Amino acid sequence: MQTSTAVPSVELPGLDCGLCGVATCEEFRARLTKSPDLIKRCIHLDAGSQRRALLRVVEDPASRGPATCTSGTCVAPIATDGSRKWVDSLGREFDFVLQHFPEEPGPREIIIPHNPMLTREMEIKKGDVMIGRPLGMSCGCPVTHCGEVRDVDPRTGVITWCVTGPLRPRQEGFKDIGYYIAEAYEGLIQASRNEIKIGMRYYFQPDMCMLQWRHSGLVNYINRSASGLQVRLEGLWIG
Amino acid sequence: MTAGDIYFDNAATTPLDPRVREAMLPFLGAQYGNPSSLHAAGRTARTAVDNAREAVAALLGATPPEIIFTASGTEADNLAVLGVLAQHEVSPQHVVVSAIEHPAVLETCRHAERRGAGVTYLPVAANGIVEPETLAAALRPETRLVSVMAANNVVGTLQPISQLARVAHDHGALFHTDAVQAAGKMPLDVVRLGVDLLSLSAHKLHGPQGVGALYVKRGLTLSPAVFGGGQERGLRSATENVAGLVGCGEAARIARDEMVQEAVRLVALRDRIFAGIAACGKNAYVVGDRFRRLPGHVCVAFAGLEAEAIKLLPALDEQRIFVSSGSACSSHHAGEPSHVLRAMGYDPVQAQGALRITLGRFSTSAEVDHFLDVLPRTLQTLRPATTRVII
Repeated sequence: MQTSTAVPSVELPGLDCGLCGVATCEEFRARLTKSPDLIKRCIHLDAGSQRRALLRVVEDPASRGPATCTSGTCVAPIATDGSRKWVDSLGREFDFVLQHFPEEPGPREIIIPHNPMLTREMEIKKGDVMIGRPLGMSCGCPVTHCGEVRDVDPRTGVITWCVTGPLRPRQEGFKDIGYYIAEAYEGLIQASRNEIKIGMRYYFQPDMCMLQWRHSGLVNYINRSASGLQVRLEGLWIG
Repeated sequence: MTAGDIYFDNAATTPLDPRVREAMLPFLGAQYGNPSSLHAAGRTARTAVDNAREAVAALLGATPPEIIFTASGTEADNLAVLGVLAQHEVSPQHVVVSAIEHPAVLETCRHAERRGAGVTYLPVAANGIVEPETLAAALRPETRLVSVMAANNVVGTLQPISQLARVAHDHGALFHTDAVQAAGKMPLDVVRLGVDLLSLSAHKLHGPQGVGALYVKRGLTLSPAVFGGGQERGLRSATENVAGLVGCGEAARIARDEMVQEAVRLVALRDRIFAGIAACGKNAYVVGDRFRRLPGHVCVAFAGLEAEAIKLLPALDEQRIFVSSGSACSSHHAGEPSHVLRAMGYDPVQAQGALRITLGRFSTSAEVDHFLDVLPRTLQTLRPATTRVII
């Protein structure tokens, strides 16, 4: 709640245009005494005049710029300190590390059982603990994965889960969906050595990968967030 | 359009105000004289055209001889750009335009470019605003013209026209503004703004389609775009579209008389839409500046759902709610991302995903309520590109 009582010392344009939402500059000035932030609504004042008039600047949470940089589609390299070795456990180079969302228990995968009907037959639901192995073309990992279900689309059989360690299935039991296809990864990039562009395929290292093998995938969603660059990768391969 | 339809695409075109239609009707019937004729029928038509010119001049703070009627805003833009450049055919020519201009300006500049003119396309900030410093850096000694739109048709952002005009003049260049979206919705006093040329279109302010106007500052010489009988000070020959011009004049008069109360009303409706969209929990974000925008102009997108705009519009259409994903003029290039959003830094997927809701004189509070009731349900039917969005 704003409690300022000072009248912002700003010269209003006197056009009485109504574009701020009130009919006259005089009425607008009266409202400013209670809510100095309203100054942002006067389109005739440049940003500098508005800043000077503001007693307290509050960013409008509904306003934000584009997710990508203003010069085009790219997101510039994030970390270039030279300390990181951009190679996986087999000595192969990669472009960035994919980290999971900090408040989630592990990397977010979007998967589909080889028999999508299993999603309904096994009544997979949010919160279930599940195991399975990503077989075949996507993405060929030899390790059985364990995790917690976050979301289910019963129409298509697609499951969103967070991959975790094996402890919880051992303790709580699990549903085994057998083989599955990993359709997408979602997570954060906090360090990369190359520009990240939507529509481009990259080598990346999932931070929690037990084998520390590089993967590759196509970036088809980018969102700049306070926690890092959020991306979605599809068309996944190991190597 | 049928009863119950909700028309929220007033940036594309506006419904004809019944008062405008009433003023036009005599000139579609008994009053069919040619304004160039010297007899009584011609003089009646001439008086009607003169009155219309006065009304448009009054809307802009100009004098009647400074108003040149055209057949569209696009034609007015063409006349401004090509009319200036044709005055400098024997010397180097350079034009500066913003990258988010309407195709009426951009394509005209590309045409000039093919004929040897230099053109600089100014980048814009993430909120769609052209910074005066950016313009200053782009100007050259041979820059003849700067053209920056007063309000953008896709995102509604308002430009600092008076500052930009001052920068252009300081470097000896003329300044044109495409005010097709802004005219009638905000004060556009050409003297206060300091512009040399200004384009408008009648059908964006509840006048008839097929009528535009170009303000040409007194003393400024342009080359004509259309040759013939010498109408419109020789700049745009053709027998006048009398009924259309009368409609344009009446639309300008009404817009001027009702501008303030209408702006207040539309800003209130706009704010309700912004608040309602933010409350629907679909990671909505404002495209363009939150406040430096036209009073009835809302442009938003939903993070992760941008690629689904292709489904959102038809879904709203089925509910008889007419909105847009961008400029109606870009529908011929519907598969392409918006050049405006691309210039603002949005990626190619995001640049296809904006939802443009533009209110007008006949938009009502009840329509906004209905829209805000339908929208969340419609959004539920979309398939996100991502399973979650973090802001």
